[in-house]
Amino acid sequence: MKLRIIQHRRWWYLISGVLFAIGVAALLIWGLRWGLDFTGGSSLEVDFVNANRPDVEIVRQLIVDDFKLNDVTVQTSGDKSIIMRFETITDETRQQILTKIGELVSDPNAPDSAVPTVNQLHFESIGPAVGQELRQKSIWAIALALIGIVSYIAWAFRKVSRPVESWKYGTVAVIALAHDVVITCGMFAIAGHLFGMEVNTPFIAAVLTILGYSVHDTIVVFDRTRENLHRYHGDFEETVNQSVNETFARSINTTVATLLAIVAVLIFGGETIRPFALALTMGIFFGAYSSIFIASPLLVSWQKWGKK
Amino acid sequence: MKLSITAKVRLWILAVFLVAITAGTYVYPVIFNTPAGWFNKVTGQHIGIKPTDFRLGLDLQGGTHLVYQADVSKIAAGERSSAIDGVRDVIERRVNAFGVSEPLIQTSGSGDNYRVVVELAGVKDVDQAIKMIGETPLLEFKTEGVAQPLTAQEKKDLAKYNTDAKKKAQAILKTVLNSPLDQFATIAKEKSEDPGSAANGGDLGFVARGVFVPEVDQTIFDDLKPGEISRQLVESSYGWHIIYKVAEREQDGQKQVQASHILIRKKVESDIRPVDAWQTTALGGKQLQRAQVVFDPNVGTPTVSLQFDNEGSKLFEELTTANVGKTIGIFLDNQPISTPTVNEPISGGQAVISGNFSLPEAKLLAQRLNAGALPVPITLISQQTVGASLGADSLNRSLFAGMIGLLAVSLFMLLYYRLPGLIAVIALIIYSCLVLTIFKFFHITLTLAGIAGFILSIGMAVDANVLIFERMMEELRRGRDLLSATNEGFHRAWPSIRDSNVCTLITCSILFWFSTSLVKGFALTLTIGVIVSMFTAVTISRNLLRGMLTPRMDKWYFLFHRPKPVATDKPQA
Repeated sequence: MKLRIIQHRRWWYLISGVLFAIGVAALLIWGLRWGLDFTGGSSLEVDFVNANRPDVEIVRQLIVDDFKLNDVTVQTSGDKSIIMRFETITDETRQQILTKIGELVSDPNAPDSAVPTVNQLHFESIGPAVGQELRQKSIWAIALALIGIVSYIAWAFRKVSRPVESWKYGTVAVIALAHDVVITCGMFAIAGHLFGMEVNTPFIAAVLTILGYSVHDTIVVFDRTRENLHRYHGDFEETVNQSVNETFARSINTTVATLLAIVAVLIFGGETIRPFALALTMGIFFGAYSSIFIASPLLVSWQKWGKK
Repeated sequence: MKLSITAKVRLWILAVFLVAITAGTYVYPVIFNTPAGWFNKVTGQHIGIKPTDFRLGLDLQGGTHLVYQADVSKIAAGERSSAIDGVRDVIERRVNAFGVSEPLIQTSGSGDNYRVVVELAGVKDVDQAIKMIGETPLLEFKTEGVAQPLTAQEKKDLAKYNTDAKKKAQAILKTVLNSPLDQFATIAKEKSEDPGSAANGGDLGFVARGVFVPEVDQTIFDDLKPGEISRQLVESSYGWHIIYKVAEREQDGQKQVQASHILIRKKVESDIRPVDAWQTTALGGKQLQRAQVVFDPNVGTPTVSLQFDNEGSKLFEELTTANVGKTIGIFLDNQPISTPTVNEPISGGQAVISGNFSLPEAKLLAQRLNAGALPVPITLISQQTVGASLGADSLNRSLFAGMIGLLAVSLFMLLYYRLPGLIAVIALIIYSCLVLTIFKFFHITLTLAGIAGFILSIGMAVDANVLIFERMMEELRRGRDLLSATNEGFHRAWPSIRDSNVCTLITCSILFWFSTSLVKGFALTLTIGVIVSMFTAVTISRNLLRGMLTPRMDKWYFLFHRPKPVATDKPQA
């Protein structure tokens, strides 16, 4: 049984083309919803002990009226806590806000054993300059990772030059990478628009990991191609298809194993880590897909196009 | 010959298991300590392993991450990085005094920004910690101010002003002398420039000699009789007085006089160019070597003695030489805490601050001075604080997720690959033990992202096994026997394993450079995971498989999930 993956490449190009276009469109129209660490600002999460959670609108009004802060949003989180967000504040302001919210839920009639208290769970205040720097750094990190990967593949495949030059393997691998990253980011742009999902520093880590992982998958297939080119001297297209088929079970199994691990984090890992795990899950899925259905077919297309 | 290879392999496997068990016990001492407890009970011995803890990041155990920006604008460009190192040292001393376990204090710079990052794990009272770090006990030594000489123009203006003032005073004197006595108060109310008495019609009340300036005293006590007004203007340092002696009396054996006056002020140099109360010197907390509480041998009150370093000693000597007979101000946070008078030049770099300290105050001051003054001011620009409960929740959830992940991956491998799958699972468990041992032994900080990295690396560690097994099965299908298929599988899969892992390592090293501690944690755990997984997949799985295989197994198709040569496609349980 042999799958005619390379021969059907037009279909894969079509599917990927559509997904890629949706991703680019989402990025252009909505863009990523940058988190606090990139934009600067503050986030304060509190929960309430021996008191009912106050209405978020009341809390919002209190912050707007008493502290004259900009960009205030207040939302509930979990069962008992609320998350407040606003511009960058000093530590004194934070303490004053906590005091004010404490007054909001205070109850003079409460017994000593059950005094209503506000409990700070998490506080973050990032200066705008820090966020700006982080953004620049992220772009640098991704650019450097791409350069490193292309160089390594070109080096690892340096002995393969027929019928496709070694640098083309690297380039195709990077195109597959770009495909994975753009689609994943596009999904996040959509998720950001629809569900308010934010992109923060761990997301950049996830994107970089996707880069490493996707190329990891692609290399396994290319490696087999490299080996088979020495073994068979048939049609290039047929050899590549043979290689994809031979590595197919491995690609699927590895992806399933890795996804099993990371989906466990996605489901059980808790709220904080979820965007990170989601980015990894999507990236690994598309990474596996692109190494089978995009990278190798592209190699063949390029070789054919060059011959014309 | 063959047997001896197998024997070697089996010996190797035994060694690996011993290492793995040791590692496992180190990671999770309960395994050993529970049976050891029974043993101790029976034999009365005391054996057991002292449990060590993983080092958890801020997001898992709660704590605060603070970023301070240092204002180095007043420091010469070449000395900025040493100034920022100074800031770090000072903060470190302060934090240590606070008793936080293993605080992390680093400098970080980007372009012209000089920053200090402070991570305090497990700190309960973040507010106080922030206060403590941010406090800038700025120790300064200041000298008395000196007036600047006036310019010629200013002198001229001053003279003109005073001439005019005198003329004005004389005109008023004329009016007063030409008016009845009871008009004095009215004129004083209107014209006097003495804010203290003008409203009362110039009345100064009864006073004894010595309260007023000598010129006025002479007029009211010696020259005038009660009811008289001075015929001349009386000049004092304040200006020109027109004085009316109202009455005099004898009280407590002292002569007292009641007088009224009209004052026309004059200007002096210090009105135009006020003298700076204190002038900053180069001497300050920077040159302080040590501060300690000593008791004044004469009075027995606590004082704080200061010892300067070489530079400070020299500066202090110059300072005291130039200021004999004058006062030197010792300022802490811009507040004068002591203003001793210099009696003689002081060499040797010792000074004493003798404020009116209580013993605890003196101790606190010495402690704060020893902790050092910050060489430059700092501001808190970014802060992330995670409550301990949220951290503990995250830790439990991620550990649970890790367990589930490990379980799911193991189950998948067992179901799909059968015997090799079992070996992969054993290799995976050994892998986990080794990685966790490394985490523990090298005190690698585990963050939430770091644990995610570890869980991800479990998936990736399996990949090496999958590559090998797939290759092995391929070789089996090609008709090789088990042993040579195994060897071939490992041999041929290696380049793929190497190349793909190198790419992951490239991205990890970039992530590590990325410097945010959360991301660094992820990069580090993933790197360790990838390196260890290359080792376990290639050496441990391979030897385990070789050690277990016997030629008989060639017939046990079920174990390798391959079809029997005859008919059925599905292996039977």
